Amino acid sequence: MLKFIIKRLAQVVVVLFLILTVLFVLFRLAPGDPVERMVDPEMSVEDAALLIKEFGLDKPILTQYTIYLKNFAMGRFGKSFHYGDPVANIIREKLPNTVLLFTTAVLLSAMVGISWGKIAAWSKGKPKDLALTIASLVTHTLFLPWLALIMMWIFSYQLNWFPLGGMMSTSEESILGLDITWWDQALDIGYHMVLPLTTLFLIHFGSYLLVMRSSMLDTLKEDYIITARAKGLTERDIRNHHAAPNAMLPVVTSVGLSLAFSINGGALTETVFSWPGIGRELVFAVSHNDYPLAQACFLLIATVVLFANVVVDVLYAYLDPRIRY
Amino acid sequence: MALLDVQNLSIGYQTAEGLLQAVEGVSFCLQAGQSLGLVGESGCGKTTIGMALMGLLPSNGSITEGHVLLNGQDLRTMDEDALRKVRWKDVAMIFQAAMNALNPVIRVGDQMIEAIVAHQPQVSKDEARRQVEGLYQLVGMPVERIDDFPHQYSGGMKQRAIIAMALANKPKLIIADEPTTALDVIVQDQILQETKNLQRELNLGIIFISHDISIVAEVCQSIGVMYAGQLVEIGTSEQVFYEPRHPYTQALVASFPTLAGERKELKPIPGEPPHLIGKIMGCRFCDRCPRSESQCKLDRPLWQEVDAGHHVLCDHC
Amino acid sequence: MSQQAVIALKQAKRSLWKERLAEDWRVFHSNPLGRIGLTLLIMFGLMAVCSYIPPLIDPMYNPMTGVDPKIMASTGPSVRHWLGTDFMGRDIFAQLLAGARVAFMVGVTAAFMSVVLGTAFGMTAGYMGGVTDTLLMRAADMIMVMPTLLVVLLLAALFGQLNIWTIVLMIALFRWPGVSRVVRAQTLSLKQRPFIDAARVAGASHTRIIFRHIMPNVLPLAFLYMTFRVTSAIVIEAALAFLGFGDPGTVSWGMMLQWVWKTGHMFRAMYWLLPPGLCISLITLSFYMLGRAMDEVLDPRLRDETSAG
Repeated sequence: MLKFIIKRLAQVVVVLFLILTVLFVLFRLAPGDPVERMVDPEMSVEDAALLIKEFGLDKPILTQYTIYLKNFAMGRFGKSFHYGDPVANIIREKLPNTVLLFTTAVLLSAMVGISWGKIAAWSKGKPKDLALTIASLVTHTLFLPWLALIMMWIFSYQLNWFPLGGMMSTSEESILGLDITWWDQALDIGYHMVLPLTTLFLIHFGSYLLVMRSSMLDTLKEDYIITARAKGLTERDIRNHHAAPNAMLPVVTSVGLSLAFSINGGALTETVFSWPGIGRELVFAVSHNDYPLAQACFLLIATVVLFANVVVDVLYAYLDPRIRY
Repeated sequence: MALLDVQNLSIGYQTAEGLLQAVEGVSFCLQAGQSLGLVGESGCGKTTIGMALMGLLPSNGSITEGHVLLNGQDLRTMDEDALRKVRWKDVAMIFQAAMNALNPVIRVGDQMIEAIVAHQPQVSKDEARRQVEGLYQLVGMPVERIDDFPHQYSGGMKQRAIIAMALANKPKLIIADEPTTALDVIVQDQILQETKNLQRELNLGIIFISHDISIVAEVCQSIGVMYAGQLVEIGTSEQVFYEPRHPYTQALVASFPTLAGERKELKPIPGEPPHLIGKIMGCRFCDRCPRSESQCKLDRPLWQEVDAGHHVLCDHC
Repeated sequence: MSQQAVIALKQAKRSLWKERLAEDWRVFHSNPLGRIGLTLLIMFGLMAVCSYIPPLIDPMYNPMTGVDPKIMASTGPSVRHWLGTDFMGRDIFAQLLAGARVAFMVGVTAAFMSVVLGTAFGMTAGYMGGVTDTLLMRAADMIMVMPTLLVVLLLAALFGQLNIWTIVLMIALFRWPGVSRVVRAQTLSLKQRPFIDAARVAGASHTRIIFRHIMPNVLPLAFLYMTFRVTSAIVIEAALAFLGFGDPGTVSWGMMLQWVWKTGHMFRAMYWLLPPGLCISLITLSFYMLGRAMDEVLDPRLRDETSAG
């Protein structure tokens, strides 16, 4: 098992390395002066000179490449054009916000989707199943930004139940900036999180439900289910102890595959709801030509995706004894 | 009172094209400690009978006529809850090892403990585990393998595990559905011998379902031959195997090779069994029967006793 | 074989083909998802075709440049403008129709390109085996995992405003792994067949074998399989346009949503906000349904036992 994990992690490192290299090449292939990619043309000459030195932009390509890799490993991404601060700081501020929203959304959709999928499979053909399946189909195919806007229109604009975006009532942009009245702040954040969370949930629970449902239906046709029934077990026991653990396996795989989809959705949600996270920063950075920030955000997201896939693989190996033993 | 009394059993499946009569008018009796082999080709209804005896017919199947009396209780009148109590306590099933009969993600020992606890709720987990160890010893499996997963077992071990699991609650009747079909000959022989020993030791009633009449002749005291959903011949193993009277049985015996006995040419049976949807007139075998006459197509053949305890469904035997 | 025998064989093959097609159509048709999906798709197809009509009626109906001289701001549905106008006075219905055209263009082109790429890579991987196979499949795995939208965003940052075809190409570059998997599996099973050995014995080069023998057997499956997974291309283009990185010269549904949003009309002009988003969602739904119905046709194991047969 340990060997498996190490092998996968090694693969991640290789892929990251490749991505970094591709980015490096792209940045230099793109039209325009690569120096302008790292150094804000509006900077003072001294500041510019410092940065050029830090990133070795006046040295030959190969040296630049090694410096580039070293900088990445040490978390030095340069200075954001837009904010003027070191990119690393900005990321440190905004990352927790994304983690909070995104993880909650994924966990919620997964748990609800999977358990409803189980129920749908069990009442196959009956109204409950049809309702759940249709609901999943419909919500899953909705265009996320559109759904987000409609949610805002109904619940913020018309009913005034929830704020129109943002993460907190103050213009505080990071949950790291929490102070004294911790509980109040938490509630405030929670209040702001309801709409984006619901939007993400609506879009994603459907795919978990449908995968679990079809996986359960396949599992229920297996011979060991007949054995379980022959043993005189109750339907409930059969469903939960025999069928579900087997049905879960394809679901875990599909979680890994749909991660990219979820992340796209996360970035869009953050943008529409003005949730100050990494996804939104990436979009902003791209619109403002803030290259250092854009690159860093992207790299961060890519790293997270790769690691998440490793987690999924390890989880699968853990759940399926045929792989572990 | 007989252990199992099947009276005029008919079972049908609802399909898109109509009612498929998989079993028709089957009657036989089994005493405690006796073994009966049910033989026939695929689709003859033997597995369906096996499932019906466990109350495990799929949702589109049902007993359309007749009675199945297990220890005097009619399975046909029982509801699901009552059947659940009967299953694995009074009657248990041994499946083919090649099937995915064991859940791949649960340890084998745990699956057996589950069978015990479901029917003896007062038994503690530890006690159940001790019982499982005893079962393993009974079927000749190493006790250290209790905590393994099914994919770690060989084919023979899986079959033994399935047998052990069936014996967990000391049932009086065991239904073995092709238990040796996917195993190689050597293991097959071992399992058959062990099954015979277990039957004697535990005084088990066994219904042994197979398509191989020579295996059944070796293991069972009586044989029932099924064709197209009907029981066409029944008697002791000696009677049915050495003096088959029904043309189908004769052809069946002739089509299986045996190591002992004189060398003869194998003769396959030409043709196919009839489609079982809709009413069938007359004898079901007549299209493939060397002895058929025009009358066979119209009249249902008589159930005749041709010898002591030896019955045949035929007019010309 | 005699001339007559050859002709008879060809005829037999053709009628077998027709029978199979009829059978496939029946399975497809009996699936309610397939029927609904197809209906919706036909509706969108009609929209796309009709998109050429409005500008011909009156230049004011041109989705991109057609400004109604009498209207200065966004107005609601009326007889002149069935869905109202946007903030510049352009007809929304005409834009909606044009969006359908763009959606099909994007979807079909992206699907086509990913099928071409995926087939090429899949066949090569399956046929060559060994290191080539491993490398290609690893690359496929990596690419499949990346969030396409964000990658294209980053590329947009570097290369400036993107043209619609560049967007389509980039989307295709990230979608081919799915096709290549299926193609590779097919190639692997074909590789075992005797006719490949026969060709090799006859002296055919690898390239010839791939193109003349493997490709014709692999292409239909690849096309069928991928064509109904076209949806992500449409959605990604829409998302890009929504965020402001689409092709400014193209009127797509995503672009329409961008306009509503950026001009702050999203809560005041429902006639403008609802139609484009609804269309994107429905076209996604219809392709998904079609895909599911196609799955049943392609994989007989998925067919419902009760669907006669």
